[in-house]
Amino acid sequence: MSGKMRILTSLVVIAIVVVALGVWIIRGPGPLDFAGGPKVALADYRAGKPTGVPAKLEKASLIERGEYLAKAADCMVCHTKPGEKEYAGGLGFKLPFGTLYSTNITPDKDTGIGNYSDQDFLNAVQRGKRHDGARLYPAMPYTSYTTMTNEDVLAVKAYLFSLPAVRAKPPENTLSFPFNQRWAMMFWSAVFNPDTRFAPDASKSPEWNRGAYLAEALAHCGECHTPRNLGFALDNRKKFGGAITAGWRAFNISSDKATGLGSWRDEDLVSYLSLGHAPGHGSASGPMGEAVDHSFSQFAPEDIRSIVAYLRGVPPVPSTDLPATTAPVAPASHKDGVTADARGKKVFASACASCHGWSGESPVSPTATLTGTWAVNDPAATNVAQIVLSGTKRHTPDGALSMPAFGNAYSDDEIAAVANYVTARFGTKGSKLTAKDVAELREQTAE
Amino acid sequence: MHMATVLTINGETKSFDAPPEMPLLWVLRDVLGMTGTKFGCGIAQCGACTVHVDGKAVRSCVLPVSAVANRAITTIEHVGSTPAGAKVQKAWLDLEVIQCGYCQSGQIMSAAALLAATPSPDDSDIDAAMAGNICRCGTYVRIREAIKQAASGRQS
Repeated sequence: MSGKMRILTSLVVIAIVVVALGVWIIRGPGPLDFAGGPKVALADYRAGKPTGVPAKLEKASLIERGEYLAKAADCMVCHTKPGEKEYAGGLGFKLPFGTLYSTNITPDKDTGIGNYSDQDFLNAVQRGKRHDGARLYPAMPYTSYTTMTNEDVLAVKAYLFSLPAVRAKPPENTLSFPFNQRWAMMFWSAVFNPDTRFAPDASKSPEWNRGAYLAEALAHCGECHTPRNLGFALDNRKKFGGAITAGWRAFNISSDKATGLGSWRDEDLVSYLSLGHAPGHGSASGPMGEAVDHSFSQFAPEDIRSIVAYLRGVPPVPSTDLPATTAPVAPASHKDGVTADARGKKVFASACASCHGWSGESPVSPTATLTGTWAVNDPAATNVAQIVLSGTKRHTPDGALSMPAFGNAYSDDEIAAVANYVTARFGTKGSKLTAKDVAELREQTAE
Repeated sequence: MHMATVLTINGETKSFDAPPEMPLLWVLRDVLGMTGTKFGCGIAQCGACTVHVDGKAVRSCVLPVSAVANRAITTIEHVGSTPAGAKVQKAWLDLEVIQCGYCQSGQIMSAAALLAATPSPDDSDIDAAMAGNICRCGTYVRIREAIKQAASGRQS
């Protein structure tokens, strides 16, 4: 080998090592690595059955089991455009580099997945590979679904194929170069998709393992609640530490006592997941409201308890931009307490006070109480502004309670003012939103 | 889904069939025939539908009946029998506050709740309590004056 060749070879080797090391560092741990116990094959785990459906559905038909699992995986919310046919796709996800539209997953042969074989469906859900070989974008959370068992994925397929075929072609994506190069996702997938099925942790209880399967493989909590790394994949070093997704803040759901779920009681977590509200912790809105309405509220009670057991064990990750405690109840009189933003106060008096009260404890319903919620205690006021813009609706066993959308009634300036007033009065630290911030938030929500 | 609902309205127990999600305003007007409470915007933006729930002024157009079971509801038909409501109605008549009148049952309900909680309101109290009640005729000046008169008890 000549001297030149030797140098070149060394450079190539060094480059490969550097890239491999970089990839390894960026990728970080897997979603369940924190548990630390020995992983065993599903077939060798005898303590319980972490996968599949709850006991009461064990004898149900394949389609019924698939329906439960499809709801647990919350397929519908992303694959349905509000007001259009269920599962027919077309919901637009606005990204910084263009809009991505969800696909039609009804069994229509031309515009849906009617031609998918079992293997095609497994490839799409577990490997991000389309029927025609093209790569899916990770907006489809296949790096989470990849841990589903084949049996469960195919039960979902059986359910989807039992639905009426809807002929509907979603709009073309408008991604810019280089993001419009689907083939490039092959490399992303090779690095970030483990393409392995769920392996129980032998050191943990059956309840924990069931919760892990539900939270990771099906409910894909981390897709919103875990921050992303340089490669836009989940950074499990900060697992469940909270992140901004689709213009909404998904708060910290790690076991951190101050800013996570560490100080929530079990019954609060059960209530929040199954009803979308927990006393003193506020109500689920935006994407989490949808997750409750279409997914968690349909879970069997023992599955909700398993998720709670699993969440308890996720290591604490503090959110340093949030206060250590949420603010107490504000004074009953509008005159006392913080009134920094005079304009915001005017808007609050006209549009908000009759339901939320001046103290933040709603005279109407506990679901409308602001005191104690992270939304008003977040100095960025992201979710306060979003809820004002788009409203919210909470379904409960006693009926639904809703807040109207004020996005068309008030200007960006007024919405910024009222968000700043609300966070200052009911939270620990007032936000400093501007009209421009509100305009940007309007742009980011999926539609 | 319809189900038997029992509400306490103006001190009386009322029983009727309605879906739990039906707004209280619809129950009042369409089911019980109590048309004193008005429909304005339907999205809690104008205040025409204001009633009292446990003495507090709330917008009945966005309030499902399921949220007000076991709570005391007072409407414009009955507010005159409360001390604050009686004073407000008298001042309203004395000062000829009303022009077209459509928003006025809501205005009176908000004013009565204000005086019950704050017997001597200043201008900022009136602003904070009345900002959610809109009057297209522009009777705001007379409304403010009438609230002050009702609070002071003086005669015009």
